[in-house]
Amino acid sequence: MILSKLAARPVLLLFGLVAAFALPWLIYPPVAMDIACWALFAAALDLLLGFTGLLSFGHAAFWGGAAYAAGLIAVHWGVPFPVAVLGGALFAAVLAVPIGYLSVRLRGIYFAMVTLAFAQMVYFVVNQWRDLTGGENGLQGVPREFFGMDLSDPFFFYYAGLPFVLLGLFAVWRIVRSPFGRVLVSIRDNPARAQALGYPVERYKLLAFVLSAGLSGLAGGLYAISHGFASLHEVYWTTSGQAVMAVVLGGIGTLWGGAIGAALIVELNDYLATAGFTETGLVTGGIFVVIVLVFRRGVWGTARDLIAARAARRSPAAGTDSAAAQVEAPDRQEVTAR
Amino acid sequence: MKALGRAAAVAAVGTMLAGCGGGPGGGGGKISDGRLVLAVLNDQSAIYADLSGKNSVEAVKMAVADYKAKYGDKAVTENIDVIAADHQNKPDIANSKAQELYDRQKADTIMDVPTSSAALAVANIAKTKKKVFIDIGAATTALTGANCNKYTFHYGYNTYMLAHGTGSTVTKDGAKNWYVVYPDYAFGQDMNKSFSTAVQGAGGKIVKSDPAPFPNDNFSTFLLKAPGLSPKPQVLGTMQAGGDLVNLVKQYNEYKLRDKGIGLAVGLMFLTDIHSLGADALAGTKFTDPWYWNADQGNRAWADKFLAKTGKRPTFAHAANYSAALQYLDAVQRAGTDKSDDVVKQLEGHKFEDVFAKNATIRAQDHLLLHDVALAQVKPSSEVKEPWDYEKILKTIPADQAFQQPDPACKL
Amino acid sequence: MLEQAFNGLVGGAFFALLALGLAVIFGMLGVVNFAHGAFYMLGAFGAFVLLDSFGVNFWVALFAVPIVLGVVGVVLERLFIRRLAPLDPLYNFLFTFGLTLILQDLIKSRYGVQSQPYPRPSALSGSLDLGLFTYPTYQVFVLAVSLAVCALVWLALTRTRVGMIVRAATEKPELTRALGIDVGRWVTPVFGFGIALAGLAGVLAAPMRAVNPLMGADLIITVFAVVVIGGLGSIFGSVTAGFAIGLVSALGNLYVPALSQTLVFILMAAVLLWRPAGLFGREEALS
Repeated sequence: MILSKLAARPVLLLFGLVAAFALPWLIYPPVAMDIACWALFAAALDLLLGFTGLLSFGHAAFWGGAAYAAGLIAVHWGVPFPVAVLGGALFAAVLAVPIGYLSVRLRGIYFAMVTLAFAQMVYFVVNQWRDLTGGENGLQGVPREFFGMDLSDPFFFYYAGLPFVLLGLFAVWRIVRSPFGRVLVSIRDNPARAQALGYPVERYKLLAFVLSAGLSGLAGGLYAISHGFASLHEVYWTTSGQAVMAVVLGGIGTLWGGAIGAALIVELNDYLATAGFTETGLVTGGIFVVIVLVFRRGVWGTARDLIAARAARRSPAAGTDSAAAQVEAPDRQEVTAR
Repeated sequence: MKALGRAAAVAAVGTMLAGCGGGPGGGGGKISDGRLVLAVLNDQSAIYADLSGKNSVEAVKMAVADYKAKYGDKAVTENIDVIAADHQNKPDIANSKAQELYDRQKADTIMDVPTSSAALAVANIAKTKKKVFIDIGAATTALTGANCNKYTFHYGYNTYMLAHGTGSTVTKDGAKNWYVVYPDYAFGQDMNKSFSTAVQGAGGKIVKSDPAPFPNDNFSTFLLKAPGLSPKPQVLGTMQAGGDLVNLVKQYNEYKLRDKGIGLAVGLMFLTDIHSLGADALAGTKFTDPWYWNADQGNRAWADKFLAKTGKRPTFAHAANYSAALQYLDAVQRAGTDKSDDVVKQLEGHKFEDVFAKNATIRAQDHLLLHDVALAQVKPSSEVKEPWDYEKILKTIPADQAFQQPDPACKL
Repeated sequence: MLEQAFNGLVGGAFFALLALGLAVIFGMLGVVNFAHGAFYMLGAFGAFVLLDSFGVNFWVALFAVPIVLGVVGVVLERLFIRRLAPLDPLYNFLFTFGLTLILQDLIKSRYGVQSQPYPRPSALSGSLDLGLFTYPTYQVFVLAVSLAVCALVWLALTRTRVGMIVRAATEKPELTRALGIDVGRWVTPVFGFGIALAGLAGVLAAPMRAVNPLMGADLIITVFAVVVIGGLGSIFGSVTAGFAIGLVSALGNLYVPALSQTLVFILMAAVLLWRPAGLFGREEALS
């Protein structure tokens, strides 16, 4: 079993990498780039939701805030686009410090409400500060500068942007696997116990929040560069909602599930745009409700369970495995309401 | 892996170029891919759906039918497709879809695109892809100002036209003192600026202008303040749009400002807004309308055809989509090709007249359509003779006065 | 100035009704109902449809619509909310979020996105002389109804046995259960009642606000901020904060218009900094 598990990981990893590299061959390249950005966004949000137990309903503030920051850096300073993207990520992380400081003190569902409210505040500020942000015209004409290279072809730009996404996903994975990540999981599962063990729970949560925001910002900044603009839509609450939907659809606490959920949602939106069916909310809302009601482990979570069940049938000893399962199987259904 | 990726990328570009065969400069026939594709990219599911939406696609199809009927065998091509996409009022979807429409669906022109952020994003795509884009639904003057480009046209209306028409005409008619309330975001701020300039240019005075939050459902703060201002304003000019406008007008009536001698002038109002508020709530209100379906026999005849197809009376946006499609097809006919550069040349400076655009010119300097617009007044319900018959046309504002001078920031 | 203050209270009347509904539902079920704004919207549309399609007037709608929506709430609780209740409360939050998207789109597909016309009832169309100033009758009516409903709910909570149980369950959930009081049978009616309050607010809004499918979406986020300011889990705090925030935003509108939209969120941040559990909240809301 251990052997097969060891073998499964590189296979899955390879599969994921091949998928990431092949994507613009299979899907229209600008849409492929959207999928990549949203995949990172969802994974970053899952770091908070799945591994720290905090539902942020305000991550649009970080994704969108970084989109504007990256856009402004690129427009005004004409720096190579990676600098702008990283600048956006940094901005998101800094913005997350005060918001996180005020929010992490609150319990689960209050945390969701408060982050949502703060994001709405960011939305209003961006809307009003038109000298800087262009108001509802958006911040237009964001360049893709890279030492004079022509990156205007979305196919090429996908490969230019992909390293950031992979880097971000790797960072999320590293954080989850690190000792820090294990503390987060123990805080999620039993905050009182973590506190009793002497961990400064709030500081851990704040750091997780800032990291998640910064990584969301990395995705958001890249998104702005890839589209060539940032708009109010990026900081609106529906964007926060879509990110949460991606995570839930893929499977909370599965990390890679978020990326799959994001891909499905971006593809669905793209499809609906030309399907001639205008009730988009009915479709997305309907899918979401079904997932929440009967399919809570999400697409990836369910798939993984099926694989595990099959493996268990082959080797009965598998059930007791392993340190990794401790991290990866956050069955949030067992966490009860107060 | 890296080398493989690069080789793959190069191969991909090869295929893409091959796929584009017949684009600018290539191909055998005069019409690329043997067909002309008109793409309507607009909001079919969110706030602009009723104003334009799916029925604009119908309007464009009507234009194609009329074009075929007009030229018959002489038409440059028989094969004309009308395709549509719904940007759901999301600029990022508009941006990706526009690329896809031009690249994959071989669209020769994209039309409509409401919401200024989406319109500006699509204008950028049109510029890089060197394809024609005719915006109808967005109101921002940036499309023909700082963000203008060779392939982008703005057709129908803009914030300047709306504000200026109402502001200067109502002032000249005797209402000198104004109190202006505008929504505090870019559109409202633009409107406020244009409006103030127009009022002052016509010899009027802005007693005060206040930004209101957006969105907002309680305007009583401003409405209560109005009668107490000194000098007392004769008109309340509101720049609110959509749901906010509905809120403001409801509350304007509640506070009975009209009885207190303060009239109402609206910066941006559509037929659909009057329909939702009811004629009586707005009776007497003056506003600028780019086009009204029942203004004359010609408009009415077209509106009847539209009604037969869609079951609805057309808004100005529907008529503008029809007209833009017609003029685009006509330009292709004159050019004898759908090559963007040639079509743009035919459109620039073109003078014409159709059911939507009267006394019309497409200004060469900035690609803004100049045409006659109307100062309209809402009828009281006692004068409304049939459904959607809400407006009385007070006067025509000639094309050369209705729109702004070319913005020096625009360099095509 | 006084008029502005009055305006603020009228705006606050809506916040208070919505916050009250949210608070009782949260108290009894531990559910934050994202769809509360959507039910407010349905309330307004209910009034519109009754008038437009059946000629039923405002006064009937004022009672009929909240009752119908209350029943819808009961069904919803029985079918779905209950199923998710034993799980982490965020699942119900997510469920009601999805529900919001569905409800908005259902209304949109039938009535479009344009605002629908709804006239004021003729008996309330004039304005009243309040001594210091005259004020539209309808607005006075809205304020009076809201105050009366909040007062009645408060009386019911403090003077009746059911109310005591609800209040105890809301404010001291662990203790209530520990005392062996059967809270379960009151869960469904309370949920329905909270939804009915949102519906009532919607009917009241129809004659003075734009009736369209999105009217509740942004409002609910502000109401969340109101509930956080008032105090998590405190019914009294939610209502008080509702009126207070209405007042403060109206005055903010007057003096610092640039901040008018962000003001409520700045206040929320300040309250969180100073009293993380909200003005009337208890520490148990904290982590």
